[in-house]
Amino acid sequence: MRFEEIRQFLYRIWVLCLKDMKLYYFKGPTIVMGILMPLFVWLAFVAGRGFSFTESLPALITLASFFVSSSITPIVMPWEARQKSLEMLLSKPVTIYIVLLGTALASSIFGIFISSVLVTIGLLLNVIPRDLISLALGIAVSSLCYSFMGLVFSAIPSDVPADAVMLSSAVRLPLIFVSGIFIPVHSLPHYVKPLAFISPLTYFSDLIKNAYGYSSLLSPSIDVIALLLLTIIFAALALAANKRTLTRRL
Amino acid sequence: MPLGNVVEVHDLAKSFGDVRAVDGVSFSVRRGEIYGLLGPNGAGKTTTIRMTIGIVTPDRGEAYIMGYNVHKEPVKARSFIGVVPEISNPYVDLTVWENLMLVGEIYCVPKRIRVKRAKNLLKMLKIYEARNRKAKVLSKGMRRRLLLAMALMGDPDILFLDEPTSGLDVISARMIRSLLLELKEQGKTIILTTHNIDEAGMLCDRVAIMNRGKVIARGTPEELKIRFGEYARILLCFDREIDAKLIRKHFDSYEVIVQGRRLAIICRSKDLRDVLEQIVQVTNEYSLSIEELRASGLNFEDIFVRLVEGLG
Repeated sequence: MRFEEIRQFLYRIWVLCLKDMKLYYFKGPTIVMGILMPLFVWLAFVAGRGFSFTESLPALITLASFFVSSSITPIVMPWEARQKSLEMLLSKPVTIYIVLLGTALASSIFGIFISSVLVTIGLLLNVIPRDLISLALGIAVSSLCYSFMGLVFSAIPSDVPADAVMLSSAVRLPLIFVSGIFIPVHSLPHYVKPLAFISPLTYFSDLIKNAYGYSSLLSPSIDVIALLLLTIIFAALALAANKRTLTRRL
Repeated sequence: MPLGNVVEVHDLAKSFGDVRAVDGVSFSVRRGEIYGLLGPNGAGKTTTIRMTIGIVTPDRGEAYIMGYNVHKEPVKARSFIGVVPEISNPYVDLTVWENLMLVGEIYCVPKRIRVKRAKNLLKMLKIYEARNRKAKVLSKGMRRRLLLAMALMGDPDILFLDEPTSGLDVISARMIRSLLLELKEQGKTIILTTHNIDEAGMLCDRVAIMNRGKVIARGTPEELKIRFGEYARILLCFDREIDAKLIRKHFDSYEVIVQGRRLAIICRSKDLRDVLEQIVQVTNEYSLSIEELRASGLNFEDIFVRLVEGLG
């Protein structure tokens, strides 16, 4: 690809990212839900168990980043197919890959935004991260990873968004319990432990605990590498699966 | 690609499960012409268009737009085209203006040109006043015009329209037809699918008639008329309603259409004398009076029906 082609490729991803942000993300109800949903899950775990805000903030950020970045991506493709705007979009000079990358980028930016709000609230309440770079890198990479993970579910050959939501919830919700957010990985039953190591949440949770100065399982660099690898795997799966089901969706 | 051809389609085929939707379709479109893909519902027109613009991968065959293989270089190929798919929508939660700006950005049109072009298109299509309305509140006709404006935002050389006037009221349909002729005048190449035969006869320089996934005839509407020149159509209007069954019995070796007091008979020109004699006989037998009688060559719709039903 020549420079001009690369510039146009990136510009089109950005244009579609802005379109998705406008249509799906930066709307009052989505922002409120983006904060409320992880907040309720977090409260369900910490309320009455004697955890301080300082101790449980890493868990809240982990949940927020995960829920926010992976919630909307599964429904964008089925929704646009249902609205009959997907064919219109694909008849323009874009490929399905550009469309998916735009969606993933929008979702990541939203995840980073909500996580940053929580980090800022922490800072205002004097909960200071020990390693800001790991924290920032972790939030950025994990948001992208969760976005692509959500896009894998969007490949379901259906134009009913609820089908994709059901499938993604069936996978995402159990991950919360096996990823060391509330129950440390070493305390998990032995038959669940392998699942913990294929869950991106495990590495992000570990990374963020480390960033806030709590004991962690792995070194930050290993967490980041694992997250990057899982991002590549989810991205490849999402692009291939969505391309495969595209014809049935139109 | 031969000089002057802006679209080349070779042997496209596509099956969905056991259903063969398109089976070895080939055609080429010259610069500046209006090319029509005609056929009844389910003939494979939409799938052919989808494969030609590269959003559906064919089982076999290739399609080229301005020399670019649409499946190998889809972005380059699609940068030359504007498309109005048959069943499609703009983004209903964006305004008319936002939809146009979005498409302009996708085509990488600079902002100054984008704004100017959007204004011109909205004025030309008479939806400028609705520019700040969300697409979801537009009528079907206005939405269709918006889609056409969106297809033109990149100032494409080639325009693909899938059933452009389907479901529109007479005024909107007429407006779109005259706009298409205007665009042709400006040098745009237009490829349209339709099952509206009059529309095709009115607009198209050349047509390909499809049925069951195959092209069964091609040429200019005039060429097809000449091909069926040996046929004649007789139109009669009696003074009262006629019994379709009885009439069909009398003309059982011809194609007959009965509608109230009206009767249409399609026959070979050499049989015209026999048919007229039989008409006189029927008129006397049932004490009918003929109020109107006309004989002509086949119109484009007759030809289409004969081709699709395998009578040609």
